[in-house]
Amino acid sequence: MKAAIYLLLGIGFGTVLIASQAFHWNRINEMFHFESFHMYGLLGSAIATGALGVWVIKKFQLKSIRGNDAAPIKKPVQPTGNVVGGLFFGLGWGVTGACTAPLFIVAGLHWQIGLVSIAGALIGTLIFGVIKNKLPK
Amino acid sequence: MEPLAWYIAGPLIGLTVPLLLLIREKQLGVSSSFRVAGSFLLPKVDYFKYNREKDYWQVFFVMGILIASVAIFNTTDFGIPPSTNVEGEAYFQAYDNAFLPIFFVGSIFIGFGARYANGCTAGHCIMGNSQFALSSLITTVFFFVGGLIATHFIVPLIFTT
Repeated sequence: MKAAIYLLLGIGFGTVLIASQAFHWNRINEMFHFESFHMYGLLGSAIATGALGVWVIKKFQLKSIRGNDAAPIKKPVQPTGNVVGGLFFGLGWGVTGACTAPLFIVAGLHWQIGLVSIAGALIGTLIFGVIKNKLPK
Repeated sequence: MEPLAWYIAGPLIGLTVPLLLLIREKQLGVSSSFRVAGSFLLPKVDYFKYNREKDYWQVFFVMGILIASVAIFNTTDFGIPPSTNVEGEAYFQAYDNAFLPIFFVGSIFIGFGARYANGCTAGHCIMGNSQFALSSLITTVFFFVGGLIATHFIVPLIFTT
């Protein structure tokens, strides 16, 4: 039941990323060339909507369906991780034209590229897990 | 074809933030699904010994994304940009098997960077910035710095036919 809800939310999320072409290499490339407002409008309005949702949840101290406080917790500042990890991620984003969710979309469009990309992201995750203790926070 | 307008797509994406919180106080994120996979593949590594059950939902979430993708691309023309950009120039075709190694290496950076930064575009750029979290603001800035460097200095060198 829980799984079905997240599956459905994923289908909705994926459908919007596809219909808006936000997953596509050309749209990301265009964004980093400042050639189109599309991605900026999309990300900006997504953040604005999310912020409004978080504000309402905090303001009215809303509970989740299972009765716990719904308010989110901020991720802690990790200076090196946020900067260096952010840079690494950004390099990958610019080159592949995809962030994490779009990797699963590219897989449906072009399965070979999707497969090696998902494998790559998994390997990157494993490398981080193995060397994490040697990296500054 | 033309994309769904940003002012419709953006709010729909943003809506997942309160929805996930109100269902089971989950914070939007995608890249922890790979940490779950890591916890099965390398169970002896400290980083992967964690309460993975809390991230299981992301596995179903990305499976939903994959299902949407397979269903849509096999039945419609949705999601494919027009053949030319606003200036009438042909779009570069990056999805070509000749570039498989580039996508592989680039994605290693995505997986590594997302974990080191403790979140990806979903978790930091959308979820974190929706909370005005400092960590997410810093991370988003460096996502863009990395993306600009890659797009302007690396892409022209490696995507050559």
